[in-house]
Amino acid sequence: MKTPKILFLALLLLCGCVAQVVRTPIELTAANQQEARRYITVYPVTIKLDSGYERRINAGVEFVEIGIISFGKVFRPTKTVFTVEGAHMHEAYLVLNNERIVGFYLPVEKAFSPLSQPVVLSIKEGSL
Amino acid sequence: MKSFRFLAVLFLALLVSACATGPKFSETKSAIPTLKSDQGRVYFYRASSMVGAAIQPTIMLNGAAVGDSKPGGFFFVDQAPGSQEVSTSTEVEKKLTFTLAAGQTRYVKTVIGFGIVAGRVYPELVDDATAQKEIEDMSYIGKPLTKQ
Repeated sequence: MKTPKILFLALLLLCGCVAQVVRTPIELTAANQQEARRYITVYPVTIKLDSGYERRINAGVEFVEIGIISFGKVFRPTKTVFTVEGAHMHEAYLVLNNERIVGFYLPVEKAFSPLSQPVVLSIKEGSL
Repeated sequence: MKSFRFLAVLFLALLVSACATGPKFSETKSAIPTLKSDQGRVYFYRASSMVGAAIQPTIMLNGAAVGDSKPGGFFFVDQAPGSQEVSTSTEVEKKLTFTLAAGQTRYVKTVIGFGIVAGRVYPELVDDATAQKEIEDMSYIGKPLTKQ
């Protein structure tokens, strides 16, 4: 059953009919920048976005905690970039709740984009 | 046979002319102005590839045309900090949104994709280290620079 799904996604991508990234406006409470905590990913993870696209986060990637929203803490990559993609591409920060990526904070849209299948992300405090 | 050769030569000439020409990054580096403290800088570039080389859409930044997407070419735009939106004028419009802080430099790579009617070129945000490495071999296609 996997092949028809892949074919369907390929066809959607070909005709440019991919859905918009689902998002809802949300307020971010910013963390104190002087005391911002930094974390490094321990293992690589692959995230399957609801739009069908995939994103990979390697081990050893540094994130800084920039604040909190009602769904969890918000982490911005420091030396890499992270985007979510649907009909358009958006810069995104990770939203973690109990070491699970539950969605993304879109800084331009000031919105939360949920991930229907949360992914475990193992991080440890530290910096590169 | 002769006409096949002629067509092949013509095709190759078209492909070569589709690629960006201009001074390499290493040659323009010293002429690139220092970024003002109240502005951010966005570099745009496209890998040198023959695939889809003839498709060279205009790149729009926040609705204004800032240059063309040419294989092997790069240019930069200094911009007020804040939210940025990049798009290209191809078959299907795919926008990229990202933030730009004062004093920050960001890199946008335009990539060729395939559509039903024609190829399309869409923007991707690239991390600094990767982009700086990729731009090394590119040709400058922006506004003329004066030596600093």
